[in-house]
Amino acid sequence: VTAALLPATAHRHAKASKRRADEVAAWGMVTPAALLIGLFGLVPVVWSLVLSFQHSDLQTPATWAGTSNYRQLVHDPVFKEAIRNTVVYTVLFVPITLVLSLLVAGALNRRIHGISFYRLAVFVPVVTSTVATGVIFTWLLDPDYGIVNGLLGKVGLPQLGFFASPDLALFTVVAMTVWGWLGFGALIFLAGLQGIPEELTEAAQIDGCTRGKAFWVIQVPLLRPVSGFLLVWLTINALQLFDEVYVTTKGGPLHATTVLVYYLYQQAFIYFHAGYAAAIAVLLFLAIIVITLVQMRLSRDSDLEDVR
Amino acid sequence: MTWTSRKAAAIAALVALGAALAGCSGSGSSDGGTTITVWHGYTDVEAKAITAAADEWNSQHPDEQVRLVFDGGNDSALQKTVAGFTAGNYPDVAYEYGSSAAQLARQPKLVDLTKDVQDADFKWDDFYPSERDAATVDGKVIGVPALVDDLSLVYNKALFKKAGVPLPTADWTWDDFRSAAAKLTDSSSKVYGWAYVNDGSEDTVWRYLPLLWQAGGELLNADNTAPAFDSPAGLTALKLLQDMSVTDKSVYLDNGNGNYLNLFNSGKIAMLWTGPWDLSSINSNIDYGITLLPGYNGNHETISGPDLYVAFEHSSGRAKTAVDFMKWLTSPEEHLKFAIATGDLPVRKSESKLPGYSTFLEKYPANKVFVQNLSNVKHVRPNIPTYNEVSTAIGQMVQSVLIGKAEPQQALDTAKDAVTAALAGQ
Repeated sequence: VTAALLPATAHRHAKASKRRADEVAAWGMVTPAALLIGLFGLVPVVWSLVLSFQHSDLQTPATWAGTSNYRQLVHDPVFKEAIRNTVVYTVLFVPITLVLSLLVAGALNRRIHGISFYRLAVFVPVVTSTVATGVIFTWLLDPDYGIVNGLLGKVGLPQLGFFASPDLALFTVVAMTVWGWLGFGALIFLAGLQGIPEELTEAAQIDGCTRGKAFWVIQVPLLRPVSGFLLVWLTINALQLFDEVYVTTKGGPLHATTVLVYYLYQQAFIYFHAGYAAAIAVLLFLAIIVITLVQMRLSRDSDLEDVR
Repeated sequence: MTWTSRKAAAIAALVALGAALAGCSGSGSSDGGTTITVWHGYTDVEAKAITAAADEWNSQHPDEQVRLVFDGGNDSALQKTVAGFTAGNYPDVAYEYGSSAAQLARQPKLVDLTKDVQDADFKWDDFYPSERDAATVDGKVIGVPALVDDLSLVYNKALFKKAGVPLPTADWTWDDFRSAAAKLTDSSSKVYGWAYVNDGSEDTVWRYLPLLWQAGGELLNADNTAPAFDSPAGLTALKLLQDMSVTDKSVYLDNGNGNYLNLFNSGKIAMLWTGPWDLSSINSNIDYGITLLPGYNGNHETISGPDLYVAFEHSSGRAKTAVDFMKWLTSPEEHLKFAIATGDLPVRKSESKLPGYSTFLEKYPANKVFVQNLSNVKHVRPNIPTYNEVSTAIGQMVQSVLIGKAEPQQALDTAKDAVTAALAGQ
């Protein structure tokens, strides 16, 4: 009996010590990242929370403000405008980018000559610096001398103000950022599409389904986890829009493109109201958490429906 | 103040910033001497000139070394410095915009220069009054003038000739200016009479202020506690902008990226209100002239945006070196060398009496007008911590009129409320 048990015990021992070794190795690998994320992620978040209850100009010692920063925000017309602009931007940017990325990914998911060139072309805006993009767009869209208005004029269409017009500036930023993010979305969708076995579409086609219909009824539903990820990712980025606004419109004209993070920047680093800015940051943080949780819950529920 | 012109260079330089600032805190060197760190945002010729000056100082002062650190551009010098304080890694001397003076005056580490500038050999009165005012916050001297400039009228002679409009003179009135701009404007070839930086920033504001002052107005009341621009003068100034931009459509509205200068170089814009920093960027094939700003009732007052060198405390030996270095750098002889190398205007009145001044004028003939025009600087922007908020409100006001979104009186009322609120939050 003992003899019979021995190998098993030894095996169990070996299994246990291997698991322990695995755990040590795992922690060893996770710790540096956890420390870095803690230091550069969590600590600033907690510090912002503290700062939001203070008056601070970042130079002289801060004083306690209680909830006055938050109470002041309620009555701040520019803050309300920033919320409105951020919501409008997000509601436009996210769905447009999702749909266009999906279509582009579908178009790129085929074996034709020179396909890597087209894929590269779609992806180039993602790796191009935002500053360079911004400067070029302001030139292209210059109301008087821009190429775009020049072309519009040639075909007899009215000239537009783009960034210079309070009514159009936000939509212009939407267009510019959709262009910038399209390659990223397409790349993710493309990776998802290539993970879908070709047999599925082939089988459907044998059963008489057209290629286009197979895309919508077979591939797109199977991309749901990928779409869910992109939805969350694009939404978070849209709510945190800053760079593009900073290099093109600086929140103008007349607050038309003042989004939350730009307003936060203005309060913290131009007016030096760091506590007030931190209060905006905290509210934005909470909004992002809530929106992300809702989005994740929704996409998980729909996954379950699929299983059923 | 070089608001737009160097923005592109500054943006490009931001990329290098992280590397530049990493591990760059000044410290006492091991051999017992002192090393101070000087943050600056100079590029091109100015960067070369400041490097030459620092080398000269270092060879003369083996025990008091200066190390230059490029901070990525002057536009965000204040932000960088404040971040430096938070991180405990800040310079001994920094180049700062004059409009940052009131913010920096709050900094506990700031070296108060009020006593130092009283020294006879500092010759404080040799600086132009507008510079001294910009360096003084509530009676405290917080920095040494590093740069002075003013807005003057720069015009493209060929476009005037083509349109058959007589060249601008120093006696031009607002009406002369407006009608010339209208005549110079040609919508078919997209030529504009004038350009206005319309990004709502201080760049927008500081072109409006001379109009306000010329018409007899003031930005704030005497003790900077209430708005004063909501006056007939403020309205008159806004109306001129409305007449030109909305009625005549003779103004190119620049979005703040400095396109106006490229367009001036392409012969698309006839007149600019600009400062000496733009001259080096005007192409040599453009035959341009330069004169005082048009005036209102004979008042041709302009605005100056003096910038400052500001010192911060580390240990006492270093503060002394910092002050000595700033004093040396802005001494008449040393600054004239800098001016000859860069085309920056003299910061001290006595520089024009030095023998080298003729070299400066020979090399930069157009700068003669900018130097003369310094005597037309009569107002200084209020040195208050909330100035940036006041500036935003005025910027929005001017912008709303320029793009035809508001009537002058309506814009004035909105801005008045915003400025009142900003001043109350002080």
